[in-house]
Amino acid sequence: MHCRDHAVQLDRARSEFDAAGVALVLIGQATSRHAAHFRRRQGVELRVLADERRETYRAAGAKIATMGELLGPRSVSKGIMHSLETRGKIHQGRTIGHPAQLGGSMVIAQDGTVTWSHMSHEPSDNASPEEILAAARKAAHRASTQG
Amino acid sequence: MLGTVKERQRTSPPKRADALADIVLPDHEGDEVRLGDLWRDGPVVFVWLRHYG
Repeated sequence: MHCRDHAVQLDRARSEFDAAGVALVLIGQATSRHAAHFRRRQGVELRVLADERRETYRAAGAKIATMGELLGPRSVSKGIMHSLETRGKIHQGRTIGHPAQLGGSMVIAQDGTVTWSHMSHEPSDNASPEEILAAARKAAHRASTQG
Repeated sequence: MLGTVKERQRTSPPKRADALADIVLPDHEGDEVRLGDLWRDGPVVFVWLRHYG
């Protein structure tokens, strides 16, 4: 549920990322067919890459949750709140992929430097679109002053 | 159960994205994308989703 909500929120902010000159790309587990289905179903227009083997998750330093982190009160209560706020439009569907794999966000500059990252500590721990956008703008500014 | 781990893990994001650069993934249209090509012309933001669910 958290990942759907997060993807939808980021998609709404995509024009701001475009304006900043920063590419915003989602990476999900499973196949490109699943990625296409996810985009259609959620109405997301962002590019989605399919990492069935979770190779990039490991390279990005994402972690696997414990049972306590996965089903802890913080994660569950946030999920219920999101479902209520969106009047049930965003809710937990069938899980495709490793259920305990956590995600995160990362800004990478033109020279390959990771200028900012936020890897999730539990399922509801996602950086807000505003926070990610601020980090993206900073990287774009740095690129324009160095280039 | 559910693929969870017993011991709490730490996240370990790298300082450089070199380990990501040569990874090639298909996108939602089935086109193959080398990740390093995505930041060749400017900064990129990657967001790893937990799962499609």
